[in-house]
Amino acid sequence: MNRRTFFETLGGGFGMAALQGVLQGAPSLVRQPHFAPKAKHVIFLFLNGGMSQVDTFDPKPALAKYDGQPMPGPKIKTDRASGSLMRSPWSFQKYGQSGIEVSEIFPHVAKRIDDFCVVRSMYTDSGNHGPSLQIMNCGHQLPGRPSMGSWVTYGLGTENQNLPGFVVLCPGFPVLGASLWSSGYMPSIFNGVHIQNAEIEPEKLIHNLRNAELTPTDQQRQLALLDKLNRKFLARAGADTGLEAAVASMESAYRLQSEATEVFDIRKEPAAVRERYDISDFGRGCLMALRLVEKGVRMVQVYYGNFQPWDSHDDIRVHAKLAQKTDGAIAALVDDLKSRGLFDETLILVASEFGRTPMIQNSGLEKLGQGRDHNTPGFTVLLAGGGIKGGTTYGATDDFGFAAVEKRTHVHDLHATMLHCLGFDHTKLTYRHAGRDFRLTDVHGNVIRDILA
Amino acid sequence: MRFLPAAIAIGASVCMAATEDQSEFFESKIRPLLAKECYACHTQTAMGGLRLDSRESFLQGGKSGAAVVAGKPDDSLLIQAVRRTHARLKMPPTAPLAAGDVELLVDWVRRGAAYPEAKTAAAVATSEYTVTPNQRSFWSFQPVRKPAVPALAAAKGAAAARTPIDHFLLARLAVAGIAPSPDAGRRTWLRRATLSLTGLPPTPEEVDAFLRDTSPKAYETVVERLLASPHYGERWGRHWLDLARYSDGQLAAGTDTPFPNAFRYRDWVVEAFNKDMPYDRFVTAQIAADLLPAGEREPLLGGLGFQALGSRGDDQVDVTTKVFLGLTVGCAQCHDHKYDPIPTRDYYSLLGVFRSSQISQHPLALEADVKRYEGQKKRIDAMKETIDDFLQLQQKLLVDTLARHTARYMIATWQTLNSRTVDNAGIDAETLQRWVGYLKNPEREHPYLNSWFALMKQNPTEEQVRAEAARYQTFALKLIDDAKEVEDKNYVAFGGRKGIKNEATRQYTNIVSLSALEFYQWRELAAGPFNVDGYRAPAGVYYYAAKELDRWLGGNVLEHLKQLRAELAALEKDMPPAYPFFHSLKDADKPADARIAIRGDAKNLGAVAPRAFLEVLSPGKPEPFREGSGRLQLARAIASSSNPLTARVIVNRLWQQHFGQGIVRSTSNFGQMGERPSNPELLDYLAARLVESGWSLKAIQREIVLSAAYSASTQTPARAAEADPDNRLLSHFPARPRLDMESLRDSVLAVTGKLNRAVGGPSQPIADGNHRRSLYLTVSRTRLDPTFVLFDFPDANATAEQRPVTIGPLQGLFFLNSPFIARQADALNERVQCEAGEAVPARIERAYKLLYGRAPDAGELKLGIEYLAASSAGGNAGWRQYLQALLGSAEFTSVN
Repeated sequence: MNRRTFFETLGGGFGMAALQGVLQGAPSLVRQPHFAPKAKHVIFLFLNGGMSQVDTFDPKPALAKYDGQPMPGPKIKTDRASGSLMRSPWSFQKYGQSGIEVSEIFPHVAKRIDDFCVVRSMYTDSGNHGPSLQIMNCGHQLPGRPSMGSWVTYGLGTENQNLPGFVVLCPGFPVLGASLWSSGYMPSIFNGVHIQNAEIEPEKLIHNLRNAELTPTDQQRQLALLDKLNRKFLARAGADTGLEAAVASMESAYRLQSEATEVFDIRKEPAAVRERYDISDFGRGCLMALRLVEKGVRMVQVYYGNFQPWDSHDDIRVHAKLAQKTDGAIAALVDDLKSRGLFDETLILVASEFGRTPMIQNSGLEKLGQGRDHNTPGFTVLLAGGGIKGGTTYGATDDFGFAAVEKRTHVHDLHATMLHCLGFDHTKLTYRHAGRDFRLTDVHGNVIRDILA
Repeated sequence: MRFLPAAIAIGASVCMAATEDQSEFFESKIRPLLAKECYACHTQTAMGGLRLDSRESFLQGGKSGAAVVAGKPDDSLLIQAVRRTHARLKMPPTAPLAAGDVELLVDWVRRGAAYPEAKTAAAVATSEYTVTPNQRSFWSFQPVRKPAVPALAAAKGAAAARTPIDHFLLARLAVAGIAPSPDAGRRTWLRRATLSLTGLPPTPEEVDAFLRDTSPKAYETVVERLLASPHYGERWGRHWLDLARYSDGQLAAGTDTPFPNAFRYRDWVVEAFNKDMPYDRFVTAQIAADLLPAGEREPLLGGLGFQALGSRGDDQVDVTTKVFLGLTVGCAQCHDHKYDPIPTRDYYSLLGVFRSSQISQHPLALEADVKRYEGQKKRIDAMKETIDDFLQLQQKLLVDTLARHTARYMIATWQTLNSRTVDNAGIDAETLQRWVGYLKNPEREHPYLNSWFALMKQNPTEEQVRAEAARYQTFALKLIDDAKEVEDKNYVAFGGRKGIKNEATRQYTNIVSLSALEFYQWRELAAGPFNVDGYRAPAGVYYYAAKELDRWLGGNVLEHLKQLRAELAALEKDMPPAYPFFHSLKDADKPADARIAIRGDAKNLGAVAPRAFLEVLSPGKPEPFREGSGRLQLARAIASSSNPLTARVIVNRLWQQHFGQGIVRSTSNFGQMGERPSNPELLDYLAARLVESGWSLKAIQREIVLSAAYSASTQTPARAAEADPDNRLLSHFPARPRLDMESLRDSVLAVTGKLNRAVGGPSQPIADGNHRRSLYLTVSRTRLDPTFVLFDFPDANATAEQRPVTIGPLQGLFFLNSPFIARQADALNERVQCEAGEAVPARIERAYKLLYGRAPDAGELKLGIEYLAASSAGGNAGWRQYLQALLGSAEFTSVN
């Protein structure tokens, strides 16, 4: 592809076989969406494992009343053997102007509930973690499709050419790992850059960020030499956009070194800021997300932890400990995004791959326990920030919190809404692959207009 | 866009009820037309919100409004769309309707657009789908016919032609009025060919030998040498593995489950390329090697990894059809294919074939050894289970026994905590210690010890303590009994141990449990420790883990346990080593047809789809497969010279790897929505040549690499930039701005002299001392090494037809800072010093020869000398910096 066609296809909008084949720095340049966006960034806080809705943001008094009794009505299918209904160990209280009820294990988020929209009518397709994680991230149960972060950076590019456009933070790996932030069939520039944030020092976070040997002066000399060699080569080889990009990438790598060292170092924040996040890897991830967004990174995804910590099969009370390491950090992130003027242009999502049953779950072999099983017919996600009407709830589950019954909202709808906030008609943000135009929302999805600011 | 609910009202008011006549007209003319041309998108999937398969939905219209205004064709969206006069809606999207069909629709609308109630909805009647002659006439379904090689007018570049390929290319260029770019020279050709065929750069000696070779066969000599190299199979095997979504592990929930035998499939592929296994056999092997007659079967069995290493069922249908046929049959899982003549029925016909096959292991060991291994494994597992069951029983008995002494333990605890003489007759010291720890902390999650702790605050008398302890013991015994009853009830509900192990039974069994509060109390007495993400509960006071139980057991019981353990140890000692095997397939005992899942919903099953090949690739209606699963029949239908796709698809893939883009650029989609060939005659020529040559891929490689087009310079000729901006006509050679991940790493190791050229064997992770070719690095489905990701190695969960090339700052960092490049620069320094001595110019010259296959010019030499002289680091450190720059240079990391 020569320079002319390259820029033509870029300018020609999406769905035009754009960007395939040879790619270079240019695909990450800022692009305009379909219409004026409300949000420019996304921070996705992923409570992996499955947050229980009835113990957090979807209170169900009927559970207390029917505690220990089978759920009335016909027998329903759950992921594993499930028993009687189980009351939440925690109490709920109304908060804020909106009076939205929040569980006592999220006291800090509760105080800011007027900033959030609580979607209580989510549902998804698979009761197993893998496929469900895949749907939440990539819009499809099967792996191999681009993740939402890939779609967002493909659509919008990124503001800071010295940093990756899509960053994924997790101390190690969640279930399924890299396929959750894969760019699938898109070029790897849209891949999430996975940072294992159990470490603090930027040099340990980003591969090859520092040269262990060279002084800055030496490295500049080396770069100058490389540039001269490359210019001579280009002169011989003739103009070619791809080769020119390869040459330019060395210079941009050099810039990335200094920029990333600064932005990934959360120790540069004042102690007063830091301590509110310093409650867990997840909390420190939230702080890093704040700094990254501040520097123009398009999307940051923060996984709560390795494997699937929120998967409270054995004892739902574990949720209290998990919330303790989550709640304050989310609150701090909201506050700091506000104080830095970023809240209105950053879409915040707090979600799991699915929810948990209102019934007690016994794993069959253990037979005794106080946990809850996976729940796909109904669960809750939170949204806040750019484009979202705060202090609202949307939809409802049945009396027991099992299935979404009012304004049922599929994950595709969540994706459509996210893209809408970023200025995209989700049906028109397409990528041509294998002779077909693909979408994040496949052939589904409706924007949840009622929750838009 | 908002829905237009008004459409209902408009439609309903003007649409007339159908009379007999109109009904017949509709059923005979209009419904079949709608079914053929519109149902693909306007039934269940309701594109644009419009369904055309029932009266009700038709009247309702779509997102853009009512489909028709009865009596007014010109005002009807449907008519505007099929006439293609509407600004946005032009239907059908793929090709205009025949004029006669448009007139039929116009006539129908003019007469009132009567839409009678159908007796049954036509929507899902896909079993009646018949591929039309018109659909069969699509280019890629036409048989391959070997075209005559075009003659070239002398003036129009006949001189430039070396092989028939050039004739086909030059003929098209001549029509476009573009002159091809000049020859790039021998050195450039050699670098291209060597990298392309082996994934490694030519050595200085190879360059010199070729430049010196003045014989007319010089090029052929090189190509034969490269094709005979074991590195050829490594290179082209890896291309195939991209398609086959090869990985060394499974995509299992959570963890990366390794497949330690997966590499045997990889090695089989490499060997197949090296031996130039005829492509039709190569295909057959990867679908049905196990079903071939003995003798023919054995060398092909390794190929089944293609099917056995991925996911099952849908994935197998999707990957098999995409890779071998270039057809997106997977699109027909939920509805008839929207663009290609692939009914949903065909999808389930193929799915039936794969569902009638099972994953299996084909041992590469003597049957006796396998039996010994499996038998021993079974015995060990059984013995482990026996021991576990025995210990669990002992554990429960112990809880029951100790619980009967609860009051004594509580009193002794009180005595201990209050420094009284401890009444320790019959008291176990460790258990008492646990009780003391337990009762020190009054913060409990349940109320059952509240009265105990209240009493403790009141400085109680021994009598009071005894009474309270006795009360608690009664309660505890009942609680432990209740827990047992819960377990018993659930055991019965599940249908015993078998049911517990059965996923389906577990899913639908409603079970009982203790209340939460009772559960927490019970856990503190009788359950094992619990530790999930910071939430800890210590083991219950009476819970002793398996390894702590021995001291409680005595006499015959302990003897019995010891004997069991000794037997286990003996069995384990006798365990033979694991035997190697191929990941393989075998036919199920009872092959069965699949039923169509309506809209892809596995709970909503429709008609049976007999196991058979795709209709569009069969002469008429496909004959059902009757031999076992039908896999071998499927393989034969694909690996057939009369299949119009198989040969075309593979030669196109070879072409793509050499020239960056295929003759059909959508290499895994030769359907309606794929691209048309830029040079159909050339594609058919190559496909025909492949079959003629006995399906020899090496024969095609030769023709491609020896063509003048392959030797052309990268300079864009005059007019080409305007007339053919995407270089579809190949007026010049397309530069590759960066080597792929494997070539890049292997090239570095090759020039530094560190490359380990061993062929085949188990995969090993990327690591400091691992200098094997990148092909042999472990590929993970869930934890792909960051270096792989950085350089566009594909996600191993899906078939990858083409790798993109990403060039950005993160890739730059690798060259500037990675320890790998630094180490390799040191190795290169050592090599250069060893081969060229101490003199700086000689060393620079040698480095240039190794990396670029040429000597530096005066300017480059000067640049190097000055850089090294001015280096503050000096000595080897200076050289490292210099050589690092050479390794990162565009000339080394690209192909031009």
